[in-house]
Amino acid sequence: MSGEIGWRERLRAAGAVARRDLLEFVRDRRTLFITLLMPMAMYPVLALSSTLGLRTALSDLEAQQAPRPLAIVASGPDAPRFAARLDIIANDESRLPHPDWPASLTIDVQPPDRAKALFEEGKADVWLDVASGAIGELDGDGTVKLAARVAGSGATERRIREHVTAVMRRLADVTRQRRIARAGLPRTTLEPLVIDFVGGTQPASAPALRGVVPTAAGAVLVLLALLTATGAFYPAIDAIAGEKERGTVETLLIAPCGPGDIVLGKFLAVFAVTLMTLAMNALSIALTAAVLLGYLPDDVRLGVGAARAAACAGVTLVGYVGLAALAAAMCLAVTAASKSVKEAQNTLTPVILLVSALAGSALLPGREGHGWFAAVPFAGQVAIAKATLAGEAAGKATPVVTGGLVASLALSLLSSAALTWLLLRTTAGMITDEELLFRGPDSASGVFKRPAARRRPTPAEGFVVVLAGLAALWYSQGIAPEDLARALPLQQALAVVLPLVAATWWQRVDAVETFGLRWPCGGGARGWGAVVAAALAGLGMFAVGATLLLALRGTALSPEARRLSERVVDLVQRTPWWFSWALIALVPAVCEELFFRGWLLSALRSEREARGRTAAAVALQAAAFAVFHLLPERMPQTLLLGLLTGWMVVRSGSLVPAIVAHVVHNSVPLVLLALAGGAETTPATVESTGLPPWTRAAAAGSLILGVVLFSLIARPRTAASAAVPPHDRWRPRGNQE
Amino acid sequence: MIEVIDLVKHYRAADGTVVRAVDGVSLEVRPGEMVGLLGANGAGKTTTMRVLATLLRPTTGTARIAGCDVRTHPIGARRHLGYVSATTGVPDRLTPREILRSYGRIHGLGPDVLEDRVEKLVGVLDLRSCADRPCGRLSSGQRQRVSLGRALVHDPQALVLDEPTSALDVMGSRDLLDFLVTLRSQGHAILLSTHRLHETERRCDRFVIIDAGKVVAQGTREALAAGRPGGLEEAFFAAVARPAPAEVVP
Repeated sequence: MSGEIGWRERLRAAGAVARRDLLEFVRDRRTLFITLLMPMAMYPVLALSSTLGLRTALSDLEAQQAPRPLAIVASGPDAPRFAARLDIIANDESRLPHPDWPASLTIDVQPPDRAKALFEEGKADVWLDVASGAIGELDGDGTVKLAARVAGSGATERRIREHVTAVMRRLADVTRQRRIARAGLPRTTLEPLVIDFVGGTQPASAPALRGVVPTAAGAVLVLLALLTATGAFYPAIDAIAGEKERGTVETLLIAPCGPGDIVLGKFLAVFAVTLMTLAMNALSIALTAAVLLGYLPDDVRLGVGAARAAACAGVTLVGYVGLAALAAAMCLAVTAASKSVKEAQNTLTPVILLVSALAGSALLPGREGHGWFAAVPFAGQVAIAKATLAGEAAGKATPVVTGGLVASLALSLLSSAALTWLLLRTTAGMITDEELLFRGPDSASGVFKRPAARRRPTPAEGFVVVLAGLAALWYSQGIAPEDLARALPLQQALAVVLPLVAATWWQRVDAVETFGLRWPCGGGARGWGAVVAAALAGLGMFAVGATLLLALRGTALSPEARRLSERVVDLVQRTPWWFSWALIALVPAVCEELFFRGWLLSALRSEREARGRTAAAVALQAAAFAVFHLLPERMPQTLLLGLLTGWMVVRSGSLVPAIVAHVVHNSVPLVLLALAGGAETTPATVESTGLPPWTRAAAAGSLILGVVLFSLIARPRTAASAAVPPHDRWRPRGNQE
Repeated sequence: MIEVIDLVKHYRAADGTVVRAVDGVSLEVRPGEMVGLLGANGAGKTTTMRVLATLLRPTTGTARIAGCDVRTHPIGARRHLGYVSATTGVPDRLTPREILRSYGRIHGLGPDVLEDRVEKLVGVLDLRSCADRPCGRLSSGQRQRVSLGRALVHDPQALVLDEPTSALDVMGSRDLLDFLVTLRSQGHAILLSTHRLHETERRCDRFVIIDAGKVVAQGTREALAAGRPGGLEEAFFAAVARPAPAEVVP
């Protein structure tokens, strides 16, 4: 169909749709409220309340740090002489100022009973019990042990302790100097080094504020991400669900352009509003920050230069442009699956909550804005901005824009662009979906009604079963035994077999069609050829995946991954080879292929197949397969394996090559373990560095050879193909783009 | 201009059963001809029209607009098609002029042609008094005229109109149908579905009656009503094999 219309016409149509939608958005009060009014009102309110809180906190801090009078009551045989020593120190005018020295010092000597009474009545801050012989020890070379009871609690008690410590340290210093003089040593003996900070003084409250700034900046960044995403909320609902409800979406779908062009136009309009929301939020934050500085005491203002602040803001905004695009595409995709505005609101609300959770995860310790985390949607952008601002707040003298930062920013933008594209393709598929376009109102009653027999499950059923499996996998970790020989079958049964059997029975899907339970390429020599090619690809896939893992994460494994590897090695060492092979290679491969390349891929491909939709289905099931493995270390490798085996199923229409490739892939580490001698081999070396360069080259060759062979042998079948049953044939592409 | 040959459209209901909405419909509308598509609710009229409008894919069979197959050349078909249904609405926050302009742009009309076309339609459809008022404040009749203007902005040769008068009062309905007669005289091919037989029986050149997804009768009003005192209405009931309602005697 794309041949029917040139790219200029497509862009013109997309531009016209964007212009039409924008005109509608700017006349929508809800959109104007979210875009203009909310940012302008929210940050001043937040700043005012947080400034008041900050000022109160600083006042409390100042009050806590201010010197207070210290009343000491001393008892015991040597108390009078000890009090006299303290009195001398208190009145010593040559003493250097100390931040913990009390405002005034009074020492009262009383008998123990009276001293106790005074202390309990609160008339003394400290009750010192000075034992007999204390002064003798002090004047000699001994150590005096004083028992001190401190009144008050919390900050007051802490401050009294600081005062007492300062006074006693001074007494100790004076005593030390006397002892040195008595020994004939110079005073500098115990003072080999003195440091004098030149030029300015450290602001008293700056350390406290510097602890607050990254937290506050992080919270603002999360809020900015959330409000930016919220900017897409109403326009996206209006753009698709609203149009469906008003009956105007049909008028666009009969325009002389493809659904992709219409979705592009709608995306541009929603993106423009989202960018406007981002800009207004950023402006409000900048103005509020300028006002906020005026509210704060002079000594807590940070000396951030205007140019460096602008650079920080620039880095943040560039990252958030990607976030805005992603939010616009995500909201459009979600609302495209809804029939009405109400349904879209109900669906989008938890999605927005998910966005805030993702953005908030960037504030967790260890989540810096570099490495793979920069690619995580809604979290990477916040992490990059947080890292930039945190570096600035800490007063680093390094440039704001570094090579590492540029790489992270590029990765983040690339990830946002790829996800945006994928979401827009999905939206274009859904906007013309006949069922979504013309179906009746939703009802939960259908969920409990067993449907009629059909070829494949729907995409929603595909995801529900995967979510059920994922939940079962997660919870089974709590009840699974430590021994893998029992844990693996239990997990496979709960997370894969049970949901799959239940869903297949309840949904009455055609098991042969859904799971591709047929020999590839109609059997015969070509079928065997496809199986051999799949085995070759699976053989190479393990080392290629492990190399990718090394490149992404290095050789360091997380404690969880290391523990799993140790359990695998333990299983291999104490059970027969065929048992561990069946448990680690065969059973998971069969179960997971049935689950992901069978059920989920089949559900996502739907009844009407189109190239874009099939590609998206392969990518989505591979991503779900990667997430299913729970450990982040395993995800890149499992993602690649999922993509490879998904492609094999689409290409051949059979699950057999995918199972063979998966079994071979899982068998490789077991063979390597056996070759390395098992007991002497650590899991880490087998997983990563244990592969010499020549094996990697051979593995890459095996993978390429397998893929090329498979591609040649398992050509897509056409309707003209007489060798395959009619229900297997590739359907011609529909009348939508 | 509008051709439907052995059109079949099946879809799956919520309970999983297959519904044969259209089951082998064939019809043709030539340029300068207005054909009425008649049928009870659920007969398959709207599904047939949605297939012609490229909104639904045919299961089998062929549907063409100006020679363009809706399955293989949907964009070509859309270029020559104007479509209005009872459920198509207009954007509430835009004015009629803005709507006509925006759809003209989507159809690729240049600025000069577009302005001429918009002003002409505003005049012809009697929208001058409300042309700059948001559509949310317009009456049903005015909104339906805006909807028709939207379908005509690119001057299509084929018009597929699914119950365009259902929301209109008697006068609004008469004005719209008279306007369609004018369009027919200008050479447009019009396929019109309606339940109001009395309004269309003297305006349409031919009628196609469908029931349960199949064409049960077709021809001119005279041919269908031949020998029937109840005219087209009686012919319709006879075609769908249901008794005509008894005449109420006061």
